[in-house]
Amino acid sequence: MRKYLWLVGLLSSGVVLAEESSPIEAHAFVSQGFIKTTANNFLTSSEKGSFSFTEAGINFTKKLSEELRMGAQLFVRNLGPTGNFNAKLDWFYLDYHPSDRFGLRFGRVKLPFGLYNESSDIDSSRAAILLPQAVYPPLNRDYLLAQNGFEVYGYTGHGSAGSLEYRLYGGTIFMGISNTPGSTVVVSELDVPYVVGGRLLWDTPIDGLRVGGTIQALQLDTTIVVSSTTTSASVDIPVALWVGSLEYVKDDLLVAAEYGRWYARVINSTNTALIPQSNVTNERAYVMTSYRVNPWLQPALQYSVFFPNVDRREGRESYQHDLAATFRFDLNQFWLVKAEAHWMRGTASLTTGLNGGTPLSGLTESWGAFLLKTTAYF
Amino acid sequence: MASRIRMVGLLVAVIIASPSQAEDRPSGFVVIVNSQNPIVSLERKFLADVFFKKVTQWPEDGSIQPVDLRPDSPARRRFSQEVLRRSVNGVKSYWQQLIFSGRDVPPPELVSDAEVIRYVVKYPGSIGYVSGDSLAAGSAANGIKMVSIK
Repeated sequence: MRKYLWLVGLLSSGVVLAEESSPIEAHAFVSQGFIKTTANNFLTSSEKGSFSFTEAGINFTKKLSEELRMGAQLFVRNLGPTGNFNAKLDWFYLDYHPSDRFGLRFGRVKLPFGLYNESSDIDSSRAAILLPQAVYPPLNRDYLLAQNGFEVYGYTGHGSAGSLEYRLYGGTIFMGISNTPGSTVVVSELDVPYVVGGRLLWDTPIDGLRVGGTIQALQLDTTIVVSSTTTSASVDIPVALWVGSLEYVKDDLLVAAEYGRWYARVINSTNTALIPQSNVTNERAYVMTSYRVNPWLQPALQYSVFFPNVDRREGRESYQHDLAATFRFDLNQFWLVKAEAHWMRGTASLTTGLNGGTPLSGLTESWGAFLLKTTAYF
Repeated sequence: MASRIRMVGLLVAVIIASPSQAEDRPSGFVVIVNSQNPIVSLERKFLADVFFKKVTQWPEDGSIQPVDLRPDSPARRRFSQEVLRRSVNGVKSYWQQLIFSGRDVPPPELVSDAEVIRYVVKYPGSIGYVSGDSLAAGSAANGIKMVSIK
């Protein structure tokens, strides 16, 4: 944490120095949640109820000239075994934006995956506490959040045909290794030599309707060790992901649906007995809607489904159906409270590490999750 | 029974026509730019893109500086509904996504029509909106002009 204080100090002092030209914009949020499940531990030790669901962030952006801008966000999180209140720079960038058709960003830039990946941490931007976990799995945040490299982006209007927003990026992902306590297999090394991808969104002539597609390719080079022995294996895992997106926003109504498949190959295994070469394709989809009834109440409903392996859909560990209902209450323009209930069937979104080493096929098939969360922001 | 129905009907009519309901209804708005700006009319979609900061350059060159009224302003509510086609809260959610993902920050929110007019007079590339009453009452300053929406 201390190593980032210089940044806060530098930017804070800049508020005064820069006030006459273009002020430094500062925004922040603090969230605290509670999770209780009827069975199985989900995201944290939820079966007995857990407050291990905290997020906080503060960001600063500064316009340096008409075409140049910089920004950074400090983020801290604790969600079960992940985060552990370790502060890190969530994103930071230098943005060169000479025209609406073309912009260039360098730094640590959030990944435009699907409609909402970039805002997956931002509780205040949506009704649901958890985005549909099939496409936005909360425990995969480190893999999907941001990349260090560059991004080219732009927006072009095409008259009555609507407009297009494009994003193209390339770089790498620096991930900390966070093994779940109690796991029988631990990751000892993890590198992402490259990540490339792009997203195209079309604002259609139908007012409020957006249609889009995202592709992403990356490679994970990893070494895993069986914790009870010295047996280990190194493998390379090239992964390709795509998702198709549809969103309709009109007045206080939002309807969104996404469908995607992720392809992973395990190659170059140094110990095929431990990790054999393989190909796996998983499938993810959801539909979500929310409606703001009045300035302080916004209910939402979502259904998501996830199949970790499209070639094997039988057995509770081979699917995750999730039907969820949320009520968002805006107490004022800086503070909100949410309550959410999930009806789950399947165990594919669970981890053995959080469930005492019990295989997913041995966990309860039908279970419920109840979440409460409050967020203050400005 | 008939007189009871008439009483209920009268009560409903009184509630609908009550002054508090009328005051709660948003008033109109007028879009204004700096008088040096050659623009005389704008497409609604272009105006929405400007206030969502998807479009940041005037067609004739130069950066656009949109300026908003505060969220509880009737003109802001009407502008959001008619131009942005979202509620003020929906627009706020849009900006929350962009703020915390590092994409952009919202236009400045000023507290009164007079402040918006001062802002537009001061910055030649700016565009704002004020309540229709404000300009109709003759409070418009030199240095601004109204723009029609196509």
